[in-house]
Amino acid sequence: MDLSLLIGQAVVNGLVVGLLYLLMAVGFTLVFGVMRIVNFAHAEFYMLGAFVTFICVTRFELPFLPSVALTLVIAVLVGWVIEWAVLKPFRHDELNGMIATIGLAMILQNGALMLFGPDPQSMPSVATGVLRLGDLLVPNSRVYVVLCSAAVLLAMWLFLRYSRTGRALRAVVQDIEIAQIQGIKARLIYPLGFGLGVGLAAVAGGLMAPLFSVSPFIGAGPMLKAFIVVILGGLGSIPGAALASLLLGITESVAGTFLSTSTADILIFALVIGMLVVRPSGLLGRPE
Amino acid sequence: MTDFHVHLAVLVCLNVVIVSGLALISRTGQLSLGHGAFVGIAAYAAVLAHMKAGWPFWLSALGGIAAAALVALVLGWVILRLRGVYFVLVTFAFAELVRLALLDWSALTGGANGIAGIPPATLFGVAFDTKARFLVLALGVAAASAFFLKRLATTPTGHAYDAVSENPALAEASGLNVHRLQLQAFVIGCAIAGLGGVLLAHYVGFVSPESFNTTLSINVIVMLVIGGRQSVWGPLIGAAILTPLPELLRGAVQTQHIFYGAALILILHFMPGGLASLPGRFAKGR
Repeated sequence: MDLSLLIGQAVVNGLVVGLLYLLMAVGFTLVFGVMRIVNFAHAEFYMLGAFVTFICVTRFELPFLPSVALTLVIAVLVGWVIEWAVLKPFRHDELNGMIATIGLAMILQNGALMLFGPDPQSMPSVATGVLRLGDLLVPNSRVYVVLCSAAVLLAMWLFLRYSRTGRALRAVVQDIEIAQIQGIKARLIYPLGFGLGVGLAAVAGGLMAPLFSVSPFIGAGPMLKAFIVVILGGLGSIPGAALASLLLGITESVAGTFLSTSTADILIFALVIGMLVVRPSGLLGRPE
Repeated sequence: MTDFHVHLAVLVCLNVVIVSGLALISRTGQLSLGHGAFVGIAAYAAVLAHMKAGWPFWLSALGGIAAAALVALVLGWVILRLRGVYFVLVTFAFAELVRLALLDWSALTGGANGIAGIPPATLFGVAFDTKARFLVLALGVAAASAFFLKRLATTPTGHAYDAVSENPALAEASGLNVHRLQLQAFVIGCAIAGLGGVLLAHYVGFVSPESFNTTLSINVIVMLVIGGRQSVWGPLIGAAILTPLPELLRGAVQTQHIFYGAALILILHFMPGGLASLPGRFAKGR
């Protein structure tokens, strides 16, 4: 295999993980934008989403796509309830809200551990065969997941951009007090924002479940990358998250082809911390 | 007291030291999610200086603490200009970087296997080679760090820290250098964590990258928040209550963590000052 083909393959693989990071990072940044809370339980919603889809497909024998849709609905409802029951007092309380989500993460992860046990499980692939792009080979299961992820992101973008509720959400992100003066009901927007944010994480988990194995610990990796993405892109900025996700996914995949994965990770961390020296608010974040 | 009780007492003392370091950082309104990494940096640096370079214990311990402080100085200088949340995210990512580096640099650190057979601490010709002897050392250091926090709280520097955490903009406007104060607290806090790490390494006799992962950083936060962030007694109370719990709930690790998580949320809800604020609440005559 010649060099350009090797790089091409790495870039294609990088796009797949880049989309995964993007789904995670958009949800994460949405929750932060609305509530000003860094949600440390985001990884656990990814993990739970993977389990819900896994159970729908293997236990109840539902087709894959309806299972993912069901996962989204359940996650938004669960997120809504958790926001109302646990996080309500910490809206806009950055430090305590974040510590509360650390507690939430501990409960969810260990709850999953008690329910499902620690062993990784795998679910059937969603598509067979390989797509040929010139000399590049992409398994159809990956193509399928990429298309679904892109569709979810597009739907989310359209919702935030054009729907009344989406605009209300963005208004709250911009300035909560002015939004309330305009008649936006914060008591509905907060749980909705949190529900949608964790819903995106859960969908990411569900979509990735056929590609990777499912266990209570799968959230940590994508979560860490989502952190890197939002630091790189600028917290609260969705375009920043998009740019940073693709950059990170591809860099990681290409660097991982030539170096060891851990060396590539170390390099990326060092680069991100280095970048903060130059641009403390991230690539597209607004300085505050 | 059985050996097991002495062992628990030693762990409580070491946790008091480590949590005190985080308490100092938290006094300036910042929360580090990478505290465990600084415990690890100092532990590894001291162990390597002691075992590979043959430095005496006291010198290698100082070297380890200095290593943690130096890394904190460089990292803190870069990231303390960031707003609170970025600081937390970067400390979290940095801790992962340290863990990966310890794993990857196996020629020096032993990789995932870690370093075993670390000799006991020796000071002035006295070897702290039994649990009871080590307890004396650990008690002394824990008392010293608690005393340090208590004294600091009443000094002008301590008041400046409080001002910075209450309202950074106001503190800046009244002539305080917020960045320098936060950096100072971060470096000292990480150095104290390093002291705890060096002692821990020599007590347990073993270090590995997994001894200093996110779980440690989070446990330290849990102890601080449940004990009480504002009070100088917080680290003592948090470490004293939460250190023995894993031993009592042995075999039910998941239940223990669920309990931790729930306790964390409930304390934040109903008792933001932590358990240390309880006596004050009763004293107010309720």
